[in-house]
Amino acid sequence: MIEVKQLRKFYHHSRGLDGFSLQVGRGELVGLVGPNGAGKTTLIKILATLIRSDEGSAVVAGHDVIRDFRLVRASVGYLPDVAGIYQDMRIQEYLEFFADAFRLEGAERSRAIQLGLERSGLADRRTDFVEHLSLGWKQRLHLAKCLMHSPAVLLLDEPATGLDPLARISLREQLKHLREEGLTILIASHILTDLENICSRIVFIADGKNIREDAATPSPAAPQSTSVDCEIRYLGVRDVVTRALGGIPGAQILEASEGYCRISLPGTPRDASDLLRNLLVLGLTITSFDTRGLGLEAKYRRTFERKAP
Amino acid sequence: MSRVIRNPMILKELRQRLRERRAWLLPTLYLLTVSGTVCFSYYASTAMQAANRPRPMQGAEIGIALFLTAVITQLALLLLMAPIFSAGSLTIEKEQRTFAGLLTSLLSAPQIWWGKFVAAFLYLLLLLLSALPLLAISFAFGGVEVRDLLVAVGSTILVLASISAVGLWCSSVFRRSVHSTAASYAIVLVLSVVTLVVFAIWSDHWRTAGGNFSQPYPQYIQAPLWLNPFYPFISFLNEYAAGKLDSPLSSWLLYAALGCLAAAFAIRNIQRAGEQL
Repeated sequence: MIEVKQLRKFYHHSRGLDGFSLQVGRGELVGLVGPNGAGKTTLIKILATLIRSDEGSAVVAGHDVIRDFRLVRASVGYLPDVAGIYQDMRIQEYLEFFADAFRLEGAERSRAIQLGLERSGLADRRTDFVEHLSLGWKQRLHLAKCLMHSPAVLLLDEPATGLDPLARISLREQLKHLREEGLTILIASHILTDLENICSRIVFIADGKNIREDAATPSPAAPQSTSVDCEIRYLGVRDVVTRALGGIPGAQILEASEGYCRISLPGTPRDASDLLRNLLVLGLTITSFDTRGLGLEAKYRRTFERKAP
Repeated sequence: MSRVIRNPMILKELRQRLRERRAWLLPTLYLLTVSGTVCFSYYASTAMQAANRPRPMQGAEIGIALFLTAVITQLALLLLMAPIFSAGSLTIEKEQRTFAGLLTSLLSAPQIWWGKFVAAFLYLLLLLLSALPLLAISFAFGGVEVRDLLVAVGSTILVLASISAVGLWCSSVFRRSVHSTAASYAIVLVLSVVTLVVFAIWSDHWRTAGGNFSQPYPQYIQAPLWLNPFYPFISFLNEYAAGKLDSPLSSWLLYAALGCLAAAFAIRNIQRAGEQL
């Protein structure tokens, strides 16, 4: 649904993107993470046809973002990082304006407006002025506006910035529903816990380049994983851990320090529970045993710590 | 064609504009100012001048004085207001971060421009038309024909359309309304005052160099005045003062060209505006 190849964008004194590539399949929800100035917003702006790349190609919903920019606009819902809103319009007028701006007519227009009001949860407040809405409600209205023309792809740039925890949870739930409806979503965010919870894949970007890519939450269609990462914190000597792993073929210590080790274990979380039992039988005092593997925050720190200012 | 008329930008802009407090305040102040000036002109041309004249003023002379005072005051006020409406209309979208929403919709750059232009221009037109009864007072005194009224109103419309287009161009260039409005006012100032000063200097040089004062000014001396928004009225006055200036046709053509150029450049800037956001 989104295919980006060797994209380059140069600004006066810097590079926005430097050979970045990305592929996002239909129905995927992909998170884009990286430090400030990494190129996330530049990428999303290029995909939304706001700016042009200098080199490389980008195709969204089968249309080239430069050649067929109108078709791309018809297929994309774009929510910018700081999305402004017409404060002096009523909620219904706001949706009506964008329905007209996306050339919806007749019954389709009425349906889109009604759906927008329902999606945003503002059907009862349709005659209120937008300026009276809280930030969370405005963001819901924005999202409803982005979805008015039934786009196949949703591009979200820092959609949770400034939202309170409840509004963030609500946004997360909305995005999960949209993913279930089959929408392809690319979301750039600094709020890693949110991405971890909803994304099928996380793409790391820095200096306009691909850094790494990870599966975040396994999608229902994804095959079952064949190994499990265990993080163990303990009191005692590491020899006990080494001894316990000795009898498990394919098990390996990925990382170790005093009182801590991270292990890759072939099998499923059930096999990890067997390992835990063995360690306890061998007399090791376990303070923490986590099979969720390395969290996104930890991955982020490992990836970007050296690049931090 | 239907897209030109059924442009959602026009409805949005007019709705927003007419919800502002100045939507009713400005016409009130505008009409009060034009009325006040017309009243002052009436007293100036009757009571005050009667003292210095051997004969009382004819009705036609009063009619012409009232008419010219009204149209010149009207144009001066509208020239002051035009940048307020046009120069901020695109920059406000940039300042309020709403421009990205417009640019990524299916509205084309000409549609965005047209919506902004019509909204800015229609408001000026409303002001202009609301003062027509004041202009019509001069008919009661004579000396002014319907043709003069049509020429004056038509010329004012053309000048305002061009200045609105120039204001929109400024708005497409700058990111902040304050800069765009300042640039628009600078352009209005150059057109209204600097052209007059240049004409005064050139005509003075021409006269001191032996130019025949009883003959019309050569075209190159008049040229700066063609860019002056008041030129059609000056040349109207000229009919009653020695016929030294050409008809306002050159001025109208120049303003039409200026408006078209400003529109073309503004649309091009809107197409590239994503880079500014």
